[in-house]
Amino acid sequence: MVKLDQINISNDGLTKFFSPIEAAILRSLWNEGEMMTSELTEKTKIPLTSIAGTLDRLVKAGYAARRVDTVNGRMRYVYAPVYSEDEVASEITTKIMDSLVDTFGRVAIENFSKYSDKK
Amino acid sequence: MNLIGEINCFGLCLKLSENAPIVGLLIVSSVALLVAGIMIKMPKHRLSMFVSAQITVFLAIISTFYLMKCEGMLTIYLYFGYALVSSAIIFGALRFYDRVMIKRLNAKPIKNVLSWIQEFTGGLANATVYYYDSAVPRAFAAGRSVFVSMGLLEILTDDELKAVLAHEAWHIRNNSRTPFLKQLAVMTFSSHKKDELEELADIFAVEIAGSEALSSARCKVDKVFI
Ligand SMILES: [Zn+2]
Repeated sequence: MVKLDQINISNDGLTKFFSPIEAAILRSLWNEGEMMTSELTEKTKIPLTSIAGTLDRLVKAGYAARRVDTVNGRMRYVYAPVYSEDEVASEITTKIMDSLVDTFGRVAIENFSKYSDKK
Repeated sequence: MNLIGEINCFGLCLKLSENAPIVGLLIVSSVALLVAGIMIKMPKHRLSMFVSAQITVFLAIISTFYLMKCEGMLTIYLYFGYALVSSAIIFGALRFYDRVMIKRLNAKPIKNVLSWIQEFTGGLANATVYYYDSAVPRAFAAGRSVFVSMGLLEILTDDELKAVLAHEAWHIRNNSRTPFLKQLAVMTFSSHKKDELEELADIFAVEIAGSEALSSARCKVDKVFI
């Protein structure tokens, strides 16, 4: 969960930084906004038994928030993303850049400026 | 006196004692009860057979000690120390385990949000139902409390939930008896028959909520309520 020692550069997309289930949940929350557990299992096509523990972890880590909704005598969670996709992207980028500058100093900064030139 | 020496001494004393046949008889009958227990289908009777076997083993241990007619034996002190510590844990600490779980899970009484769940369970056992914040469906009983996770409340229908609550209520109703079973198991170095207790709890759940509700609850949450 966005710890630098768990980054997996050879993976695709968000799974470089998150587990596949975490990535699928975050992707759905960013697309849909608020979602119930049943909607999440439907959208991600991940069975509840696999998704439930990950939801607990995402909430604990602060990436997702949930509130309890009581409707017609039933209780259910409603999930929402805590940070936007851009905010998470910015957090990850900063972490990685910090570590690159920390390790390679001047060379890392020179390479970053190449990017801003291209832009 | 060292332990190995004492164990040899047990054998010698048993050989010499005129009461040795009593110990032999107890051991033979405990094996017979155990075998009978395995063959019986009804969980209730199977459990009582197993408990009788444990009692005869316990009696065999005590009468062996009695035959030993000597004072200050290390093994006897060790056994009674073990008995004291284990009963303190089983009868003391485990009874208040629900207090610990309420704190650890930050569990809240369910009567404030879904009062019918408390009323239903309260009608089956003298128990308080708590719910706690977790998406992982789970239910368990401890002390005089039943714990259900939010995840369980989310995915079960009311009927399935009733089956799970009845199962847990059975545990609470029998919690006054199960510590004795646990203690007996500890004293005879045998594992306590959890499966039989689970089967009995399920039988009760079927009586209260019907077999369909129980099996569909089991299907949905596969082994998460114990
Ligand atoms: Zn059970």
